[in-house]
Amino acid sequence: MSHLLEINNLRTHFFTREGVVHAVDGISYTVDRGKTLGIVGESGCGKSVGAMTIMKLIPMPPGRIVEGEILFEGKDLTKASERQLQSIRGNDIAMIFQDPMTSLNPVLRIGYQLAEGMRIHLGMSKQEARERAVELMDAVGIPAARNRLDDFPHQFSGGMRQRVMIAMALSCDPKLLIADEPTTALDVTIQAQIIDLLEQLQDQFGMAMLLITHDLGVVAGVSDDIVVMYAGKIVEQTDTEELFGNPQHPYTEALLGSIPRLDETHRRELANIAGLPPDLVNPPSGCRFHPRCRYATQICVDKEPPLAPYNGGPGHLVACWHYRDSREK
Amino acid sequence: MPTVTEELRVTPAKIYEGPLLRVKDLVKRFPITSGIIFQRTIGYIHAVEGVSFELDTGETLGLVGESGCGKSTTGRCILQLYKPTSGSVVFEGQELTELKGSELQGVRREMQIVFQDPYASLNPRMTVGTIVGEPLAIHSIGRRRDRKGRVRELLDIVGLNPNFTNRYPHEFSGGQRQRIGLARALALNPKLIICDEPVSALDVSIQAQMLNLLDRLQQEFNLAYLFIAHDLSVVRHISNRVAVMYLGKIVEIAPSAELYQNPIHPYTFGLLAAIPIPDPVLEKKRVHKVIEGDVPSPDHPPTGCVFHTRCFRAQPICTQEMPPMENHGHGHSAACYFPLDHESRAVS
Repeated sequence: MSHLLEINNLRTHFFTREGVVHAVDGISYTVDRGKTLGIVGESGCGKSVGAMTIMKLIPMPPGRIVEGEILFEGKDLTKASERQLQSIRGNDIAMIFQDPMTSLNPVLRIGYQLAEGMRIHLGMSKQEARERAVELMDAVGIPAARNRLDDFPHQFSGGMRQRVMIAMALSCDPKLLIADEPTTALDVTIQAQIIDLLEQLQDQFGMAMLLITHDLGVVAGVSDDIVVMYAGKIVEQTDTEELFGNPQHPYTEALLGSIPRLDETHRRELANIAGLPPDLVNPPSGCRFHPRCRYATQICVDKEPPLAPYNGGPGHLVACWHYRDSREK
Repeated sequence: MPTVTEELRVTPAKIYEGPLLRVKDLVKRFPITSGIIFQRTIGYIHAVEGVSFELDTGETLGLVGESGCGKSTTGRCILQLYKPTSGSVVFEGQELTELKGSELQGVRREMQIVFQDPYASLNPRMTVGTIVGEPLAIHSIGRRRDRKGRVRELLDIVGLNPNFTNRYPHEFSGGQRQRIGLARALALNPKLIICDEPVSALDVSIQAQMLNLLDRLQQEFNLAYLFIAHDLSVVRHISNRVAVMYLGKIVEIAPSAELYQNPIHPYTFGLLAAIPIPDPVLEKKRVHKVIEGDVPSPDHPPTGCVFHTRCFRAQPICTQEMPPMENHGHGHSAACYFPLDHESRAVS
């Protein structure tokens, strides 16, 4: 069976007055039905732009898909018309955003906002959509759902608003849910509740999930596979246990070493990644991580490393001339 | 002729031999007002409700809790940026809540603050040199030329290029701005720095640089930190002792390792369980969702133990009376009628 979503060599650039921003520069990955792919990286690495491109939610211009294809159930979305996209957005592919305070319309009642998508995509009547909205609010754990239909977003707390967003995303029974930093704005106890809810709903509805986050702890518990991005490119890609147990790219290694962990028994100095992420208007030559990499040599400056299978196996890809095992030999 | 402020600064340090900072029964309530022209108070936000702790020279105390628990307000009450409603803040043996004007300014030389948002805490119209040199100018320390030298030295200490003095904040990244804020805090050689979420706006790799820098500066200058943050992993990494706050109260305080291994208060336990660990093998076995529901509103905090509405061990007594802070040995105190032990932690 083919993949649910297949991204091939996607490049999204922004044409600005300061020059061309190479926000996403040749990324490829696949998501299978019912599976979760985590995309991790620091701010500005292109992880959100990559996901927004799938739904064509980036402003065009200045943005443009320069190259590549986005195959959703075999159809190329880059060639789809606006009308075709309308019928996919919110229906087959749904999205949850980072900030639950700004992603709901403050002047419309919650019940209306929840019903809107179902009336457009599923052709439900007002009354049907309202009934279904109550069921969904129950499913995502909003207490006294029926009484809260006519409330406005400001009457809900941050965690509750994110639950409303999730209910809205699920309303048309999507095949793919794109969650862009769904818990970043929330407190840890609420984050735990939301992640728990997402996992439980994924089992129930059988959808695939694209989870974009900077928090390595969150992806460790939820994802089946992980893609690590740096400066618009994928540097390492493999299944979750392999990535945490056997990281090969120096950036992945440093990223894992730079987070203080709750289960640490003794105090250590955190791994430093010297310097700053690069400017994507003029990205470094060769490997984009070379100015910050402690293992960099001349070849890293001259030639870009391909994203190639590590150790010959198909599952683990790494883009580095000096990945860990090759250094240790 | 020595000014009043200099005397203040020098004398108590010589004779005083207690903890650097002692906070006792600190309370801060913000009025809620109603009406357009005639404002009347219709209630209070109970931001801080009786917080007590001590902090020694060269020590780091972490203050953790969820948003709205009063941790930042506590920090600001210590600096007297907010006037506390009641309670006492004693810094080097001196009661700060009674000080005014120039006396207060004198004491503030010894305690500084680094703010959370590196984009909002630096004046965009001032150069980096002016920003870092401002504390020196306010306290009239040295001549203008000497101050310039000191500013360059400070930038070098926090790992920035000393030639950056003529640049403006917008030319810097978030991590670099946070270093500028830190250089400003260090300008007057303070004894205490209140770090109010200094790394939460930064990416992990930049966060690690900042934490290592804070560590190094503490050893070099024997600084005491009150480290306010919501990220328990970060707090654990940097602190000697940790205090956990919930709805304006400290519910548990203990040495860092002790608190994380043997949490006594159910809230601390739930908070620790909620944090994901970057290890997929461990993650599969852990239960994250121990605490249900949302934090209640601080304008009408629950009666009795403020945590009882979300607690998995709550009994009728918890709704009636606030449990007192009890000492459990090893410098570990908690306010709970049904403290957790080894067995109960394993069960829940």
